[in-house]
Amino acid sequence: MENIVEFKNVSRVYKVGDHEQKALDGVDLSLRGGQMTVILGPSGAGKSTLLNLLGGLDSPTSGTITVDGQDISKLSGDGLARYRAEKVGFVFQAYNLIPTLTVRENVALVSEIARDHLDPDRMLADVGLADHGRKFPSELSGGEQQRVSIARALAKNPQILLCDEPTGALDSETGVMVLKVLLRMTGQYGKTTVIVTHNQNIARIADTVVRVKNGRIQSCVTQTPESVDEVDW
Amino acid sequence: MLFRKLLRTAGKYRAQFISMIVMTALGIGVFVGFNTEWYTIERDTASLFERTGFADQRVIDASGFSHDDLEKVRNIPGVDGATLYISFNTVASDGDTVALTVTSDPDVSGFIVTSGEAYDEKNADGIWLSDRYAKENGVEEGDTLTLGYKGLNFTGRVAGLIKSGEYMICVPDPTQLMPDYSTYGYAYVSPAALRQLTGGEFYTQINVKTKLQTKEFREKIDRVFGKTMLTVSKDDTVSYAEAMGESEEGKTMGSILPVLFLAISVLTMVTTMHRLTASEKTQIGTLKALGFKDGTITAHYTSYAALIGVTGTAAGVGIGMWLGWFIMNPNGSMGTYIDMDDWSLHTPPFVWIVLLLINVFLIFIGFLSVRKMLAGTAADALRPYTPKKMRSLLIEKLPLWDKLGFGAKWNLRDNLRHKTRSAMTLFGTVGCTLLLVASFGMKDTMDAFLDTFYNNAMNYSYRINVDTEKATEEDVRSLAEKYDADTCAQASVQIDGQTSLVEIYGISHDTLRFVGDEGGYVTLSDRGAYVSRRVAEKFGVSPGGTLSFSKYGESEEYTVRIEGVLCSMSESVVMTEDYAESVGLKCPAGLLMTKADSVGPDPLIINTQSKQSIIDSFDTFLEVMYTMLVLLVGAAAVLGIVVLYNLGVMSYTERYREMAALKVLGFRDRQIGGLLISQNMWMTLIGVIIGVPAGVGVLAYLLKALASEYELDLHLGALSYVGSVALTFAVSLIVGLMISRKNKKIDMVEALKAQE
Repeated sequence: MENIVEFKNVSRVYKVGDHEQKALDGVDLSLRGGQMTVILGPSGAGKSTLLNLLGGLDSPTSGTITVDGQDISKLSGDGLARYRAEKVGFVFQAYNLIPTLTVRENVALVSEIARDHLDPDRMLADVGLADHGRKFPSELSGGEQQRVSIARALAKNPQILLCDEPTGALDSETGVMVLKVLLRMTGQYGKTTVIVTHNQNIARIADTVVRVKNGRIQSCVTQTPESVDEVDW
Repeated sequence: MLFRKLLRTAGKYRAQFISMIVMTALGIGVFVGFNTEWYTIERDTASLFERTGFADQRVIDASGFSHDDLEKVRNIPGVDGATLYISFNTVASDGDTVALTVTSDPDVSGFIVTSGEAYDEKNADGIWLSDRYAKENGVEEGDTLTLGYKGLNFTGRVAGLIKSGEYMICVPDPTQLMPDYSTYGYAYVSPAALRQLTGGEFYTQINVKTKLQTKEFREKIDRVFGKTMLTVSKDDTVSYAEAMGESEEGKTMGSILPVLFLAISVLTMVTTMHRLTASEKTQIGTLKALGFKDGTITAHYTSYAALIGVTGTAAGVGIGMWLGWFIMNPNGSMGTYIDMDDWSLHTPPFVWIVLLLINVFLIFIGFLSVRKMLAGTAADALRPYTPKKMRSLLIEKLPLWDKLGFGAKWNLRDNLRHKTRSAMTLFGTVGCTLLLVASFGMKDTMDAFLDTFYNNAMNYSYRINVDTEKATEEDVRSLAEKYDADTCAQASVQIDGQTSLVEIYGISHDTLRFVGDEGGYVTLSDRGAYVSRRVAEKFGVSPGGTLSFSKYGESEEYTVRIEGVLCSMSESVVMTEDYAESVGLKCPAGLLMTKADSVGPDPLIINTQSKQSIIDSFDTFLEVMYTMLVLLVGAAAVLGIVVLYNLGVMSYTERYREMAALKVLGFRDRQIGGLLISQNMWMTLIGVIIGVPAGVGVLAYLLKALASEYELDLHLGALSYVGSVALTFAVSLIVGLMISRKNKKIDMVEALKAQE
């Protein structure tokens, strides 16, 4: 597999009052296509910043980020919006579904922006929520909402799926179930997946584990992933 | 410490705070302003009337009254004062008309001296001249003035400059809407001067100060003189009736508009305070967890509403006083109409009570909002506010629903989820359209009114007032022939004990047209008489019916058949000469109307009045009215912008996370902005659909309130409809664009980090 993501000497500095805070400091990182990468690190290590930069939610202060051959670090607001619409799917800890749209409408929403989108009904069926299409997010459990979120992210048919603490708001049993769905879906649709978490156990199901500390990459290890069922949650 | 928090929170929610303060200030401003206007008119005119001895009743007899007659009147129980009085039009050397007035007792129907010498009844050459007329014509104290009357000249010295209640609204006749001091004024001279001018004392009126009711007074007067006398109460004088009419208008304006603004202000307060306390819920919980008592927290959040209420009220009172001053000052709009010396502003006491109640109510809204958030334990209060859960809508069952795009569904559900906010948005757009339609409609109506009466109905170039004492019927006829003039005879009559006017026309040169009740012009028929709308309404008569009246000083009663109803400038009964003759009514024609380019001097002509001079006096009237309308249109725009902006910001805040999620998904700022604007546009469309008929309704109500002064037909041109709708949409679009610009600032990372 070729590298699909390249970070070259990427820094992100935030100004907090008169102080400058380096969230990322000269990061170099390559991620392979079709693999699952888990980014681990304590709070404030810079892992979410890394994910936000990769997802086009934020731009680096310096350095370049190349995704599938496209330098996204210098893209304008509209350019980044197009990038987010076509290339990446997001799954958040807080699901971030639109409360005034039904489950199906939340998934179908992406058809308004993504050219190469997938069938929303099929996506819902794939995450096991075919019967819940007419419900509103508030009528679903947390696990179900996160599955809708996965369906919505993948319905855009993105190259990369980015997950920020996807099980952080769930109990462990539901979290395992969501991870299973995530793994099955990304495998089924052949997506490059990046999960940011502070849960060490999740790292065991990844192809690559990146450890971040103080805004720098501490290690980047490629491993043989364990199955979800093998992990002691 | 909490006070600092209050100020910082006000800074954080400044859009909401400012908009609520602006709405409250506007509502209170309009409320205080118009109420101050009418109350000031009532108080200041009453003061002038009091100080100048404005008469309550006028007994009129063209054959004159003697000092003995005056004594008889003075001896009537209930009469507080009486004077022999005469006022007749004289011609100044520059051709202006000056109503020369004499009162035998300066305490009744007198004047106040604003500069110069005090009144001296022995001064035989002193003239006390209207100060407004003097200023307009460059006349100063000590100047010599020559006034001509029927070939006689009186030359006197301007002893003082004055104001008089009798001439507070100084117009030569009711057809002239506004005073024009450049051509018409008044002056007082002493009885000694009158003797010098006419060789004797001759008074056509006894003016009376009395608290007796008109009916009772008339009965007593008729008994004293042994016949039916023509009496005119102050209610029928231009100065009093018009001033009270202005006061009534102010009362109407002071009731409709403030209710609209204050209702919006209160509803905005309900929505915004709820929103504010909801978004501060965790802080409320934190304060509670820290050990602050519920009462302290309640007082703190209630003080937000108090801050808004008090600031809005203070600003509103300022705006109101300015509005009151703007209308009621000697150089302001009312100053061109009413001539008073004292323009001090007065606000009715109930206004302060209402303001207090409004503030109590606003604070109560604040109290209710925070109480809801404080409910339960500290842990309950610490939990963030959760909006109501979504439920399927009824319309989702319609096949059409599935055809709607995501944006339409998103916006529709948002509207139904936040019903109060949506209702408020609707209220704002309805209010904006309503004010615009009513304002433009008022302009159209007045334009049509002026066009109908002054541009088209008055088809003459001059009105000639003939001296009916000198001129014989034959003289009048030959004068009419000379100028190809039509004739008019006027007589004051009594109908059911009330004073009215009968006008008998001889129209053969199309110098005057009559406006029908249904619009269009009617040719007077010889089959019956016509009544103006106000007469028809006052005496409950309609075509086919009859009306009986008697001329003042005569016992004979005339009964006329009502042929039709006219829309008229004056409150009168109108008929042709032939019809008048058929019912035995005879009056000498004293008014000629001609299309001639000029009218030469003639001993039989008292004075002439050009149509142009009448039309010129409209300009001031229109200027006053248009200024008011511009203010109203401005208020409509402010209302629209403030309400929509506040609610737009609220909607934006409430949907911030949703918009952040859309942005993460790849929606562009423009697309999200488009969704917000389209929601605004749909709400505006509904608002306009309701606002246009509501505006027409308010206009109709305003016209009804004016019906005692003008017989107005509602006119609303296509351009006004289009303009009102377009302006409302423009306001909505501008606000939509202002709000959607904020999309660029949505911090996706921060927004989505937050807890659900």
